[in-house]
Amino acid sequence: MKKQIIVLAEHRKQQIRDTTWEAITAGRLLAEQLGAELSCVLLASSVGEMAEKIAKECPTVLAVEDPRFETFNSEAFIKALSAILADKGPYMLVMGNSNAVIDLAPGLSVALDAALATDCFGFEVQDGKPLALRQIYSYKVNALVSFKDAERIVVTLRGGSFSFTPSEAAAGKVEKIASPLGDEPLRKRFLSFVEAEKGDVDVASADIIVSVGRGIGDEPDMDVFQSLADAMGGVLACSRPIVDKNLLPKYHQVGTSGVEVKPKVYLALGISGAFQHVGGIKGNPLIIAVNKDARAPIFRVAQYGIVGDLNQVVPALEEKIKELKG
Amino acid sequence: MDIIVCVKWIPDTSEADLAIDSGGKDIKKDTLDYDVNDWDRFAVEEAVQLKEKHGGTVTVVTVASEDAEEMLRESLARGADEAFHLCDEAFEASDGFATARILAQFIKNRPFDLILTGTLAEDDGGGQVGGMLAAMLGIPSSTLVSKIQGQDGKVTFQRELEGGLYEAVEMALPAVLSVATGLNEPRFVSIRAVRKVASIEIPVLGLGEVGLDGSQVGAEGSRIQIEKLFLPPEGEGAEIIKGSPEEAAARLAEILKEKGGIG
Repeated sequence: MKKQIIVLAEHRKQQIRDTTWEAITAGRLLAEQLGAELSCVLLASSVGEMAEKIAKECPTVLAVEDPRFETFNSEAFIKALSAILADKGPYMLVMGNSNAVIDLAPGLSVALDAALATDCFGFEVQDGKPLALRQIYSYKVNALVSFKDAERIVVTLRGGSFSFTPSEAAAGKVEKIASPLGDEPLRKRFLSFVEAEKGDVDVASADIIVSVGRGIGDEPDMDVFQSLADAMGGVLACSRPIVDKNLLPKYHQVGTSGVEVKPKVYLALGISGAFQHVGGIKGNPLIIAVNKDARAPIFRVAQYGIVGDLNQVVPALEEKIKELKG
Repeated sequence: MDIIVCVKWIPDTSEADLAIDSGGKDIKKDTLDYDVNDWDRFAVEEAVQLKEKHGGTVTVVTVASEDAEEMLRESLARGADEAFHLCDEAFEASDGFATARILAQFIKNRPFDLILTGTLAEDDGGGQVGGMLAAMLGIPSSTLVSKIQGQDGKVTFQRELEGGLYEAVEMALPAVLSVATGLNEPRFVSIRAVRKVASIEIPVLGLGEVGLDGSQVGAEGSRIQIEKLFLPPEGEGAEIIKGSPEEAAARLAEILKEKGGIG
């Protein structure tokens, strides 16, 4: 049987999410390198327009309609996908490493009896077998990971690792298949979407952001950083550990699960640069990082960096800025 | 509510200088400090808070080397009632799948209402064990969970989506919930509190006692394996500004002024 690359389409509120296009991009590369067929599975409460859009970029779209696919209920998705993929193989299932997919990928891999690698940022093929690239140990070490001799493989993709370009090939076909879900009630039930509270500072619209992370220490004096942000005419933001420690409210948190920002300048202080944080910085700003760890991943996305002690650099920087302002 | 919490013992790599070992498949760990995975500490705290509210018991379990007893003692001092240490050389090099299998085998004949884990661990960043464990036990699961409320055989909670959006979810028990960091404020555990639980015996169970054989665990029982590790080049991308803190700060201030970073 010919190898298959199967992409799971992701959507929210009847809109296809960008992770789908990134997964199709990775799927195309893998299909080419492995000599495999590419298809996409779309599970939704209404597949119509979304299926047509995906078919423009993918040779085959398997579209399954069921009201229980309105949101990404992991229980419904695992049940349905394990039924749909039961007679397929060998295959590689490709999905974005989104917060929706994080919920279903591990359980799905067990149900499919498949090998799973999460949060992959690249792939290699050796002797006709795929290998995945991941980052481990606080995202500071790259790992090349094999799937042994697995015939069924599930991978999830780090956001932003595969940039999409529209296909020029003819549109693919949409195959509708009946929902495999029976009448058995689900044990997991979506209740509602909840928006995070809004605060008195809007980091999303700020042009100049001073952002602090774990590296500022366990009992930092936040006034020092606020004072620097004030001197720069910017706002103070942070990464997740700062919110976890209640040093700043959640609406200051930049990242995929926090606020997306589009500043002109982003000064990252003591921020390691985990992808969940960097994924929230949009619009290619000037990123400057100060961190005592020369290998902190933030230096890979920053244009300028200082490897040093924040306690010394930050007060000196504020003083120099005040001098320049006169 | 009877709760089992799965915790992981990991090297703290966040600010350490890392080097690849001679085998090329792991980092040198002998100089690193080990601690409970941050996400899992929140899970233990959440379990204890749920017990304080609803009654029941909290059991902590880990698959880890001998020195992880310290983490289990801290969990007991935090308010857990009992702890189990699944420890065997054969367990080393287990991936997420093999680790979930060890935990599932240990848990499957024990009574429980809820299993808590952290959503991911900061060493391998896999985020696999919670969902796999649930699938192996045949129960539902969820990740990135906060605001847990339990009542009448079910739980309601919120889970994080992207861009400041959450979803409220209801789930029947028994279930596995993998928590988000920040869902509570882990209490301070004093040395005195740890001393108070020093007499609690922590059973140590090996491969046979858990009820598995060597082919099901470790590298052999794993579904993925590391072929090679490598460090990305230092400072790739960023131009590092050299000099004393004052000199570097002065240069940085000029760059900020030039590039519109002073408003």
